[in-house]
Amino acid sequence: MSVLAPERAPAQEQTSTEPATRTRKKDFAGAVLAVPFAILLVCTVLVPVAYTLYLSLFTERLRGLGFSGPEHVFVWLGNYLEVIADSAFHASLGNVALFALIHIPSMLIGALILALLLDSAVVRLKQVWSLAVFVPYAVPVVIGGLIWAYLYSPTIGPIKNLLGFDPLSDTTVLPSIANIATWQWVGYNMIIFYTALQAVPKEIVEAARADGAGGFRTAWSIKIPVIRPTIFVAAVFTVIGSLQVFTEPMVLKGFTGTVTSTWSPSMYVYEAAFVAGDNGRAAAASVLIAVICAVLSAVVMRFSTRRSSR
Amino acid sequence: MELSPALRNRGLSRRGFLRATAALGAADLVGGCTASAAPPGATTVSIWSWLTGMDKYVAAFNAAQKDVFVELRVIAAGLSGGYAQQTNAIRAHNAPDVLHVEYQGLPQILLTGGLRDLTADMADLESQYSPAAWRGVRPDGRTWGVPMDLAPMVFYYRKDLFDQHGIALPRTWDDFRAAAAAVKQVDQQARICSFPLNDGSFFAGMSWQAGDPWWTAQGDTWAVDIAGEGTLRTASYWQSMISDNQVAGVVYGTQDWIAGIHDGKLWGVLGASWSVGTLNRSIPKDTGRWAVATMPTWDGKPANGIQGGTAFGISAESKAPEAAMTFLRWLSTNPEVPKIGSTFTTPFPAHLPNRAVARQAYKGGYFLGDPVYDVLDEAAKRVPDWTWGPNALRLFSTISDSFGPVRSGGTTLPDAVRKVQQHAVTDMRARGLSVREGKTA
Repeated sequence: MSVLAPERAPAQEQTSTEPATRTRKKDFAGAVLAVPFAILLVCTVLVPVAYTLYLSLFTERLRGLGFSGPEHVFVWLGNYLEVIADSAFHASLGNVALFALIHIPSMLIGALILALLLDSAVVRLKQVWSLAVFVPYAVPVVIGGLIWAYLYSPTIGPIKNLLGFDPLSDTTVLPSIANIATWQWVGYNMIIFYTALQAVPKEIVEAARADGAGGFRTAWSIKIPVIRPTIFVAAVFTVIGSLQVFTEPMVLKGFTGTVTSTWSPSMYVYEAAFVAGDNGRAAAASVLIAVICAVLSAVVMRFSTRRSSR
Repeated sequence: MELSPALRNRGLSRRGFLRATAALGAADLVGGCTASAAPPGATTVSIWSWLTGMDKYVAAFNAAQKDVFVELRVIAAGLSGGYAQQTNAIRAHNAPDVLHVEYQGLPQILLTGGLRDLTADMADLESQYSPAAWRGVRPDGRTWGVPMDLAPMVFYYRKDLFDQHGIALPRTWDDFRAAAAAVKQVDQQARICSFPLNDGSFFAGMSWQAGDPWWTAQGDTWAVDIAGEGTLRTASYWQSMISDNQVAGVVYGTQDWIAGIHDGKLWGVLGASWSVGTLNRSIPKDTGRWAVATMPTWDGKPANGIQGGTAFGISAESKAPEAAMTFLRWLSTNPEVPKIGSTFTTPFPAHLPNRAVARQAYKGGYFLGDPVYDVLDEAAKRVPDWTWGPNALRLFSTISDSFGPVRSGGTTLPDAVRKVQQHAVTDMRARGLSVREGKTA
């Protein structure tokens, strides 16, 4: 979690007076210590990524009734073009874009406000309070989804009666899904922000107070700017998480027909691989999602460094 | 969703299975797989299945003879992972000897080229099976599977309430519309049944009855006719029922559905043979309230659809196809099997002599009126011709995706059905299959 620390000490420069042999020995030790990580990286990340890239270039072509079995054919970027042209894929991207638009601001702002309240002395019973907000994160996503699905259910759940509308209809299901994700993640991010706030130098806060800044002013002008890098890192994770949203809509799909089988990009991949049995298209879609994730993260990080260095 | 009852029962049957294996003195057991305790000299046959009670059948088979030893691995049900696991195993050349296929999933599995042609092995059994089941394992005139059971659709209704309010059992869909209005008249909150929009296999079963098969294998070409006259008639009918708010929308077997039935808000169920088990389990206290009838018809001419049914195929790469066949013949035709099945479910075997055994073993008492097996038998006899296409399972998702906006008025069922037809044809052509649109003679 060191990436989340608001300010990192600059890495110690290596002293040039050190004998060369010791450096080599150190390198060797480093290599040995890196082996377990390297093995895991190769086996669980690099090989599957390479295999996905390989799969994404092939398709299974059938003939006639198809009962004579498939032929494995190389199609260059055919699968990619198919996914890019697929209106279901576009719809899934549209859904997660809207989802992100609701989920990211409400979750981050909610977490930030909760963390600031926790950090200021306003709140009594800090432990109890933070635990209460954090608990949803400890609930497995499927269980959380099921709990909400029953709450949302228009016939047996209370929410329709309380709010006066059906939370699972085709217009409201997207905010309902965002609500599950926000409920799940707000406590987790609150803890991260709160931890970052602990590292805000006391003297700056005291100086601000001496200059007559109130609690709100201190939070806005001192605390938030200091923990901005943390906020951006949390934003990057949330952007990636939003793009990959899967479990919440998948659970709600069993309760309402308004969540399609390709509702989010991850569900699109799942449908291609496990329902349609089209591994090539599933692989191509996965690669595209990974690329979109990388680009979006880069954009957010770029934005963050520009803002911080101002 | 004939899968959900099976899933719900999994825990129970696994426990029963533990007991059964313990009694047989099997040594150890890993996560639902039988451990190898094959008697010396026996041929081992591996099977993957999600059929409720398969553990008990396998245990009985292994105990009954010494030549073949069956190793069962319980896998996730159908579209919850079972099909994906089996197709991937075929692709990876490590499929088990026996695979679990439903009639609706068989052609899709056949696209992998991973099943063995059983035409010669099964030829002598034709006359012993329900014709609908026999056709189900022969999509192109060759036999690819051994039928196990069959799930004709029937109408379950609250006979006590119907009788009390003088509503006659509907025999045609026109009657059904009148009956639906009468039910709503009695109780504004009650509906005659639910028409779930996110269950493609249910809609397929309803359309099946209308007599226009969605697929037909014609020589080397698939004729695809999902937007045929019968299906459009079905779609228009239910669209008007939904628009007039005459049917509920809850999904079969969910908590909402169970709650609706508990509270007397659902007076009927358009279900299949497996609904007997669902009703018994979900609302055990409703004994003596429900009755079963064959489906209302379009024109008085008897016709019933089918929703589900299990068969088993043998892997093309199996090293022990004869032993696998020995087991499957036993499983499908031995009278012991329905006897065992009757202890925990209400089996409806595809094998006619075995169906008689199941009828004998059925305890009864839950339903009023005509005996359940009589009604199911009658329903199974009325099944029109039907062939499942090689994209049936995927089509079920397409259907539920396309039907999603129907309830809010975003689209209508007939429009959605035409969209599904387009989608299916495009999808099949993209995979290289030979496709002709519409019904062709």
